[in-house]
Parts: sequence; C-alpha cells; structure tokens
Amino acid sequence: MGKVKETKTNNSMECPDEEIPGVITTTTSAIHNFLKKTKAQDLINWGRKNSLWFMTQPMGCCGVEMIATGCAHYDTDRFGIIPRNSPRHADVMIISGYVTKKYLPALKRLWDQMPAPKWVIAMGDCSISGGPFYESYSTVQNIDEIFPVDVYIPGCPPRPEALIQGFVELQEKIKAKKDRGTEY
Amino acid sequence: MDARTIIESLTGKFPEAVSEAGIDSQVRIRAYVDREKAKEVCQYLKDSLQFDHLCSVCGVDYPQRNELEAVYHIASFEHPVVLMLKARLPRDSPEIESVVPVYWNANWYERETYELFGIFFRNHPNLKALVLPEDMIGEWPLRKDYEGFPNRTARNLV
Repeated sequence: MGKVKETKTNNSMECPDEEIPGVITTTTSAIHNFLKKTKAQDLINWGRKNSLWFMTQPMGCCGVEMIATGCAHYDTDRFGIIPRNSPRHADVMIISGYVTKKYLPALKRLWDQMPAPKWVIAMGDCSISGGPFYESYSTVQNIDEIFPVDVYIPGCPPRPEALIQGFVELQEKIKAKKDRGTEY
Repeated sequence: MDARTIIESLTGKFPEAVSEAGIDSQVRIRAYVDREKAKEVCQYLKDSLQFDHLCSVCGVDYPQRNELEAVYHIASFEHPVVLMLKARLPRDSPEIESVVPVYWNANWYERETYELFGIFFRNHPNLKALVLPEDMIGEWPLRKDYEGFPNRTARNLV
C-alpha cells in the first residue's frame, strides 16, 4: 500500500501538478491511515461488508454453482452480493477452479485490475488444493501463496448455500477487521 | 473396398516403406511406415484408397527401446476400415515430415503431439505450443522419464 503511494508521488513530481479549481488534491495517505485507528473504520467496514460485488469469472464446474448463486432463486442481493462482469466493478474474486500455469498470468492481471479494497474466496477443492489434478504437470500448487485468500469453501462443487455461507464468513471477518484485503 | 484389398494395395505400392502390415478385424488394420515416406503414404491413402478423414495424431514413448512412435488413425467416409499408421522415431532426434499438406486438420494434432512428446514435425506451417505455456516447451511432459511433477501437495490438505 505504502509503495503504491510513493510511486504516485514520484509520478506527480515528474509531471507538473494540475490545479483543479475548487478541489484540494493530496497524494498522502495520512487521512486514510488516521481513519483506520478510529471508530470511523467500523462504519466504513459496515459499508464494505454489505456491498460485496463479486466478479463473474467461472473457471470450471464450480463456476456453474457460482452463476446459480448469482441468479434470482438465491437472491444474494439481500446480502449485497451482486455478480459483476468487469473486474473494475468487483470487490471479490472467486477462484472457482484449478489454476493452470498458462492461466495464472491472466488471473493475476484480473486481480491487478480490481480496485482495492478487494478480497479472494477459494471455492471448491480444485482451487484449494488442486483437487483431482493436484499432481498434474500444468497445475499451480498452493494458490494461497499467490493471492491473499480469506475464505476457503470446500466441496466438489460446493452448493450455492455453501457459497453464501462463505460470503457470510467473509462479512464476519470484515466486520471483525480480520480480513486480509486491508492492512489495519 | 475391404481390409485385405487395402493392405495389399498399400504394400504393393510401397514395398520398402510399409512394414508389419496386419489385419486386426474387418474394420481395423495397422501398418508401420518409414518416417521419410509418411507423407507420400498419406497422400496415396487419401487419393487412391479413399482414406479422407484423419482422426488423430498422437505419440507413444518407449524408453526401453529408445524410440518414440508417431501414431496416425486414418478413417474413411466411404468404407468402414480404420487404419492405424505408425512411424518409429529415434528418441534423440524425433523428426517426421508433417502431413498438414495432405490432411489440413493435422495442424493442431501435430502441435499438441509436439508440445507433449517433443516430436518435431518438419515443414509444419505453425509449429508452436497449443495448450501448454510457451516456457514449458522442452519439458515434454508426456514422456515416460518426465520428472517435473509437483513434489509437494497442497499444505491445506496436510
């Protein structure tokens, strides 16, 4: 987080600051860091946990359950969980299948395109451990070393109820300020 | 056209290149082909024997014989006979002439055989990896002596 701020400051040094009339611009994260220590972060997290939009990025048979969860029958809108088609609108990335060595760069790129704060859910046995493909020559092992996974949902595939349960667990973690999406 | 006619026609046309031809049943025949003549044999099969459908190209590894085999399954829309055509290749320089000029759909089959077994198809129009990432070229994961499998299971299971 701090590094990103520093590079932004350096970039603004290179090109002259643009004066926007009536707007005070800043490149420090002092306000942001101050708010994290106060009760205001509780309010911010309350807002964040009730709008967990997830990216519709199915990677295997778990993706079918993911889409079913987003459909009308389960009505995840009551938790603020809405499927979005663009990574730039999304807060949660669901890794819903085995990650091959060829697909990993694309997945990292999607993750980089998502704006912070963002969270990862590992859905299904394939994403947790590789599932039946864990010994394959082209499967990436231990996905949690690459992405900060908050919730693991076992199952092959997990039912939509299990996925909703995983989202509720993630909401509890955000409420308790124990999630890995933000540095407290 | 039945199996015996096809085998006799094939061995009569290429007495040097085609060897170990046999009839498994009325619909399955097999033959070994010299690797330099594979493309000419395929051209003859397509033009004269109505073998106009290439079903698959794959590879087999025989490390004890120090050989790789390229296997072609060729069938027909006119008669029910399926031909299994094999070519023996030495393991240190597995090269064979591409059959893409004869059967256009061999393009992707040969690319996949190349990336998994390392069989190099000469004069292939676009010989690069099909589904594997480019940096895995040279590992040849379906060979029997491949040792690049992950040696640690996921920590979450243990």
